[in-house]
Amino acid sequence: MEEIVGLAPSGSMGSGYNVDAFKRGLAANPHFIGQDAGSTDMGPYYHGTGAPFLPLATYRHDLSIMLRAARERRIPLLVGSALTSGCNATLEMAVRMVGEIAQEHGLSFRLATISAEIDKAELKRRLAQGPFESLGPDGPLTPETIDRCGPIAAQMGTEPFVRALDAGAEVVIAGRACDDAIFAAMPIMQGYDKGLALHCGKILECAGLSAIPYDLAEPLLGRVRRDHFEVEPCHPDHRCTTVSVAGHSLYERGDPCLQPGPGGMNDLTDATFTQLDARRVKVSGSRFIPDRIYRVKLEGAEQVGFRSIVIVGIRDPIMIRQIDSILEEARQRAEDRFKAAGGFNLLYRVYGKNAVMGPLEPEVETRSHELGLVIDVVAPTQDLATGVVMFVRGTLQHASYPGIVTTAGNMAYPFSPFGIPVGPAHRFSVYHLMALSDPCECFPMSIEEVRN
Amino acid sequence: MAAQTQRLDQLAKVIRSKNAGPFELTFDIMFDDPAAYEAVKKSGVINAKRIAEAYRVRVDDVLVCRPYDAAVAFKITIRRPVSSGDIEDRDVYGCQQHVPLTSIEVPALRAAAG
Repeated sequence: MEEIVGLAPSGSMGSGYNVDAFKRGLAANPHFIGQDAGSTDMGPYYHGTGAPFLPLATYRHDLSIMLRAARERRIPLLVGSALTSGCNATLEMAVRMVGEIAQEHGLSFRLATISAEIDKAELKRRLAQGPFESLGPDGPLTPETIDRCGPIAAQMGTEPFVRALDAGAEVVIAGRACDDAIFAAMPIMQGYDKGLALHCGKILECAGLSAIPYDLAEPLLGRVRRDHFEVEPCHPDHRCTTVSVAGHSLYERGDPCLQPGPGGMNDLTDATFTQLDARRVKVSGSRFIPDRIYRVKLEGAEQVGFRSIVIVGIRDPIMIRQIDSILEEARQRAEDRFKAAGGFNLLYRVYGKNAVMGPLEPEVETRSHELGLVIDVVAPTQDLATGVVMFVRGTLQHASYPGIVTTAGNMAYPFSPFGIPVGPAHRFSVYHLMALSDPCECFPMSIEEVRN
Repeated sequence: MAAQTQRLDQLAKVIRSKNAGPFELTFDIMFDDPAAYEAVKKSGVINAKRIAEAYRVRVDDVLVCRPYDAAVAFKITIRRPVSSGDIEDRDVYGCQQHVPLTSIEVPALRAAAG
């Protein structure tokens, strides 16, 4: 049958995957293996620092299995958003890892590396030509924000992957990329419909999350054909259903039907989902609507200070009943004590009361017999953050309150040391659209012949 | 006679929240019973105004609030009051913010269907 079959080992590289199911997926003779390796989901720290989310050894484990399988079968392996933020520093880590695995196992292949980080001077030059539309941060992007941020990367679409495959790449390691583009590139290159290829890619990028049972670590197969695509979990006892697959179109997307990406919108309004058998679902009707201007999304995070925390437990019921006033009094004392030292932000995260939802918490009455308290301070320096958080801790430890019976100390410490310097704190400040005249222009590619 | 109502979590199979990028929070309300879905859809109780109240945001900050028949689900997206992981954020993934939806009162299934 005329088709392009893609295999997704897992929804997130480094989290591990079911290797037996992956082997079953390989037996279906896929034309390529695709793997997403990054996200903004874990918050701004990883974009701000350019550090990977997981220790490199966990990525290496996952990468080694899929790289060897791809070379054994002579099919391309495409990895996008390596690693986490997809900036140049983590991309280089991933490329180094590929080289080490290749050497260890005697693998030879043509490797394409595609970077996504944009040089800041170049970014400012482009910004001078016209404002970038914000997708979240207040106001348009400014040169000052660019300077304050860590590495800034753009999310590439399918075109840089297609260019790499056209150049004969057998392994493609890309910086920040749209997760669906990793999987849509090969079908698009072979002339299949872009809307179907991207929709299939969107489902594959989270692997088993669109099957039942939901499991990010379960491999998934996608078959893009001329007028539809099919998805199927590799695990023989798992199944895709019309509801699980259509439901996945909702996941992490603002609108179920209109999904914007580089260069256009994928319109799923008329998508239909058909159950083929107990485990397979057929999808048709997804349509890609190109934009007049090709735009890509930029991502970056700036440092807003340093964070230090103290974690404690509170068990005394008399104190728990008065927790708000006790905490506020300690805040006041900290503000008086440190007012000359520069600003700080003190947040009490009171687990058992409202730490998760804050002012949105619908339960007004605290019924917990114990509270977990994270005293969270962000300040301009690590020392000041630690100084403030330890002052607040000390004040609370010996705070007096009406009816107190436990005058030897108010809080239980789970471990020593008490004050934990967490390191830099960040905020997403760049989440803007930038126009390109060529979809590949800010995603330079290098080709290397790996020989072992 | 007062109309009988049920909490949404008695009718829906999945009520979940998650980031849709660092600046949006998105909610999926999914049903395994098409009749329950249709009843909730017909009742109109899931609307932007109700969501704005539940999350104390402006109606304008409710970006999407619509049924999606293909998934037997409702899709709701709001602007995040604080971006993911910013100093005052409380839920980096945004995956534990669904609870205010669970107690939305909807017409009881039998009454709505009848």
